[in-house]
Amino acid sequence: MRPLTMRRVGWVCALLTAILFAVSVMALKLGAVPISVSDLVVSLARVAIGRSAQLPSDYRLIVFDLRLPRILAGALVGAALSVAGAGYQALLRNPLADPYVLGVSSGSALGAILALQLLPQVVLATPIGAFIGAILTITAVYYLGRREGQLDSTTLLLAGIITASFLSAIIMFLMTTLASRDLRGMAFWLMGDLSTPLAPSLRWFFVVALVVGIGAIYTTSADLNLLVTGEREAMHLGVDVTRVKLVVYVAASGLTALAVSASGAIGYVGLLVPHVMRLLFGSDYRLLIPASALAGAIGVVLADTLARTVVAPTELPVGAMTAIAGAPLFIFLLRRSMR
Amino acid sequence: MIERRQTIFRTCVGVWIAAAAVCALAAPARCAVPAGGPPAQIEVTDEVGRTVEVPQPVRRIVSLAPSLTETVFALDAGDRLVGDTSADDFPAAAKTIAHVGDSLAPSLEEIVVLHPDLVLATKDMNRRETVEALARLGLAVYVTDPLSIDDVLLSTSHIARLIGAGDRGDTVDQEMRVRLFDLTMRLANIPPRRVLFVVWTEPLISIGKRTFLADALAHAGAQSVVEIADGWPQISFEYVLKLQPDYLVFAGSLGDANAPPIEELSKLPGWRDLDAVRNGRIAIVSDAIDRPAPRMVDAIEQLARMLHPEAFAAGATGNTSEIAPAQGSEVCATCAR
Repeated sequence: MRPLTMRRVGWVCALLTAILFAVSVMALKLGAVPISVSDLVVSLARVAIGRSAQLPSDYRLIVFDLRLPRILAGALVGAALSVAGAGYQALLRNPLADPYVLGVSSGSALGAILALQLLPQVVLATPIGAFIGAILTITAVYYLGRREGQLDSTTLLLAGIITASFLSAIIMFLMTTLASRDLRGMAFWLMGDLSTPLAPSLRWFFVVALVVGIGAIYTTSADLNLLVTGEREAMHLGVDVTRVKLVVYVAASGLTALAVSASGAIGYVGLLVPHVMRLLFGSDYRLLIPASALAGAIGVVLADTLARTVVAPTELPVGAMTAIAGAPLFIFLLRRSMR
Repeated sequence: MIERRQTIFRTCVGVWIAAAAVCALAAPARCAVPAGGPPAQIEVTDEVGRTVEVPQPVRRIVSLAPSLTETVFALDAGDRLVGDTSADDFPAAAKTIAHVGDSLAPSLEEIVVLHPDLVLATKDMNRRETVEALARLGLAVYVTDPLSIDDVLLSTSHIARLIGAGDRGDTVDQEMRVRLFDLTMRLANIPPRRVLFVVWTEPLISIGKRTFLADALAHAGAQSVVEIADGWPQISFEYVLKLQPDYLVFAGSLGDANAPPIEELSKLPGWRDLDAVRNGRIAIVSDAIDRPAPRMVDAIEQLARMLHPEAFAAGATGNTSEIAPAQGSEVCATCAR
């Protein structure tokens, strides 16, 4: 492995940021309503020089009130899920860990639904409910995934998958009993859906929470590099293992909760993205965390652009897109790790 | 279709550029808003309790459900409908209107560029998130939530007032009430048939008590055997076997995916043990019954005739007004012998 320099981190991040920018511009252009590149450039330029009032109202609504918030939400969700995935993979020393596979997404969804049912008027009830759900789920999966006091890779995955299906069953039960008339909407949300923009009042909360969550995991990245070799080894090398684990578990669960309350359960992003980044740039967490955040943003924005254009004007849930790409990769990685 | 939209879009952009040029030439005078001041608007509470400000007059309407499209056409305002969903197939003119996607996941962009004065949605077909997102974009969205035939009539009147078609609304309302009253008179002394309304066969989905469909059945001299309050419950076959409904009622035309012909049902385990299937007591009613819109009354009359032919025999008692033939009903439904 090549030694990691600040310069290399800088280059990789700059490259990914450029790609994210290009993908976002493409996503701004594509959609059910066609917009030409020149029109898009003109309107972006106008906004840049502070003359947004001169935009035709169609442009303002479609580009700035519909597509841009959606791209931002997609980027936010992608970054959150990828970093959460990378964090879980380090802590659990399992390359197949991912918020969706571990059941944390389902736990978040259940928490969010309960919060929405019990406290519909409370601001932030959904993200907080999702957070509590995520923490409880990862704790349960962590303890279920141990064998003779040791974390066992296969047992952990099984525990996650079983927990996920158990929680999904509870969600189905709640949906048919409590909220049968909202069933259609919820079913769509559970598949992972970005079609409705985040409420503007919550946008800043989400951005700040995302930065805090990713930042928290990033501060532990040097320790995570040591932790992947084993907890005892890391402890001997002076890592405060308990603190690192606590920070990463809480932050990764918080990021998952954030993503789920913004868009439902979008699967496999947290698995796919860190893996591709590892293949491309090596497994040093000091580079892997920022690279995963940016690449996750790219991936979800791309997937969502596909979701809203392939059968336009009808829209697909973005989770269907990520699952189509992610599930085969999961099988591939699983088979490779078995060998 | 896309080309046309593109043209419309380009025209809009062109008009805007021209307007901007005119304004630029007229500088430093500020670009004036066309005379006439802000458009008048009326504030109403919709059927799910939201406050909606609807600009007046309503010239451009987008409908997000087949029933609402039918309602707008019934109010003679079909020419003001600028967008509907891909499932909207009645009347035939609804198929040529620009589609904005399906009810569950329409494209918000497509709706926005149509510049609707009013978007019509319904609680059962559309998602709350869609409605909220459209409202945040500054569009007037009126949501209906009909849970009975009376609600269907009221929704129709509400929409008629909103779009300035109050007179036509009154006519439609009057006509429907007369026809429903006639049915009530004809069926007054006849015990209702116990029926199972089959929404879907696999899994078996029927209707709850508090739905417009259950009420439609009641108006047609039938009573749903399912004792569940809300929505569209999935029910167990054992429950149906125990209840042994007099009739099975399907919506749609014969041979439809969700209305299998009797011969097929009589071969299926479970279904063939139902008395209704053994006796061929299956009523296939126009799919208008699925849509809470004025045409529903046609389907209710049709069903009443299938379930209670004796009430419609020559000389049977009833209202003096003659019964209008089922207008616009596409399906020539037959009732099994």
